[in-house]
Amino acid sequence: MESKRSKYILIGLSVFCILLIGISSVNDGFLAPLRNGVGYVLTPIQSGINRAGSAAYEKIQNYSSLQAALQENEELKSQVDTLTEENGRLQQEQFELNRLRELYGLDQEYMQYHKVGARVIAKDSGDWFHIFRIDKGSNDGIREDMNVIAGGGLVGIVTDVGANYATVRSIIDDSSEVYAMAMQSGSNCVVEGDLTLYREGRLRLTHIAQDGDVKEGDRIVTSNISSRFLPGLLIGYAADITMDSNRVTQSGYLIPAAQFDTLQEVLVITDLKSEMSEGGSGDGESVPGDETSADESSAGAGSAGGETAAAAEGESGAESAPESSGEAGQ
Amino acid sequence: MKRFLINLALAIAAFTVQSCIFPQIPFLSASPNLLLILTFSFGFICGKDAGMLCGFLCGILLDLFYSGPFGFYTLFYVCMGYVNGIFTQYYYEDYITLPLILSGINDLAYNLYIYIFLFLIRNRLNFLFYLREIIIPEIIFTVLVTLLVYRIFLAITRKMEELEKRRDTDFV
Repeated sequence: MESKRSKYILIGLSVFCILLIGISSVNDGFLAPLRNGVGYVLTPIQSGINRAGSAAYEKIQNYSSLQAALQENEELKSQVDTLTEENGRLQQEQFELNRLRELYGLDQEYMQYHKVGARVIAKDSGDWFHIFRIDKGSNDGIREDMNVIAGGGLVGIVTDVGANYATVRSIIDDSSEVYAMAMQSGSNCVVEGDLTLYREGRLRLTHIAQDGDVKEGDRIVTSNISSRFLPGLLIGYAADITMDSNRVTQSGYLIPAAQFDTLQEVLVITDLKSEMSEGGSGDGESVPGDETSADESSAGAGSAGGETAAAAEGESGAESAPESSGEAGQ
Repeated sequence: MKRFLINLALAIAAFTVQSCIFPQIPFLSASPNLLLILTFSFGFICGKDAGMLCGFLCGILLDLFYSGPFGFYTLFYVCMGYVNGIFTQYYYEDYITLPLILSGINDLAYNLYIYIFLFLIRNRLNFLFYLREIIIPEIIFTVLVTLLVYRIFLAITRKMEELEKRRDTDFV
């Protein structure tokens, strides 16, 4: 009797779960209130435990790393000298760059994303995935598909947002794919997370065109044609590029710029790529008499890049063109 | 009701420790699966119903954390609670070998479940690598932690039963 009841409960619950899996893989929206509610309870607990844990750990770490820090200090001092010199040179080049940019009518929005700092409060509970949770949510203006950076490099993308938390899938997660390009040559490629490479601290770099120019040590940044990642964010550096066996594409590895195992604080970029194209064309309009030169330059860049890049550029050009003509009409 | 609350509190505690504390411990190359230990202990000690209840709570917590299809983990945890409930007839207090074996088998099953449904279907065929690098370390750590944690759960369930007994006699 007892076991029969258990069996019914088991069957009932299993069917319930399978139904939920079915429904939620089609439409995830109806669960948002539930996730939110649980988030209200769990997030304070998690962030409290996390703070206590990291405080205790830091105390121990501080003591042991003091010695190393002293030594490092010496090295860094000498490094500062060389960097100061380099900085002076770079500043000069920056001025020149600004001048040239003005000349070209390119807007500098790459550098001016708005960011919000957040603390990592929980990582995923196994080793299969690289998902983590941060203590900022929709109350702080975080929305889905926002890009997350840390330590100068791309870390991941927000996949799920509650009122006071957000879940971030990092680019080293096995299911992550990011459209990227080599900074120097503009060759397009795809950065894929791969669990088998994670221990080596590498990601996979694929879909480089046969004649694409990606060399070892090249800076790989997010591409203009990605629909969710903002352009120009540093992802990492290329390594070991080889021709694939099919002789059509090249592939290799990427060493990420961000440190993933010691991730504590991250920056969330609150600009969305999906809204950026509108904002970008708006900026272009605000500078009178610059449309033609901007269009020209984008067309030039499009023809220089691959076909896909050309299509994307053409799209953005087409988007801005009717708007500007409309404004002229008004 | 009390049992439900204690279960919930334990599940939340295990979940937070697992997601907030374990990742910060640097020498832990694989994190032991506390939720799994919790579920199988309850199933093994208290029977199928308790196991399923606990599995349901733990699974829901995990599902809420991940943004994948909802119910994926709940399904496995509920079934695991039930299956371990079958072994409750072999349960003796202070008998640790069978729980350790069960813990290992459960963790293996759990990882295979994840591998098959989230990795194999995306054409990740390098099973031996995943087995060596992820599954085996996790099983070892989980079994080790079971040694400690199982005793704690045992004490808690014993206390719970005592409380329930006392309340029953109070009513009578």
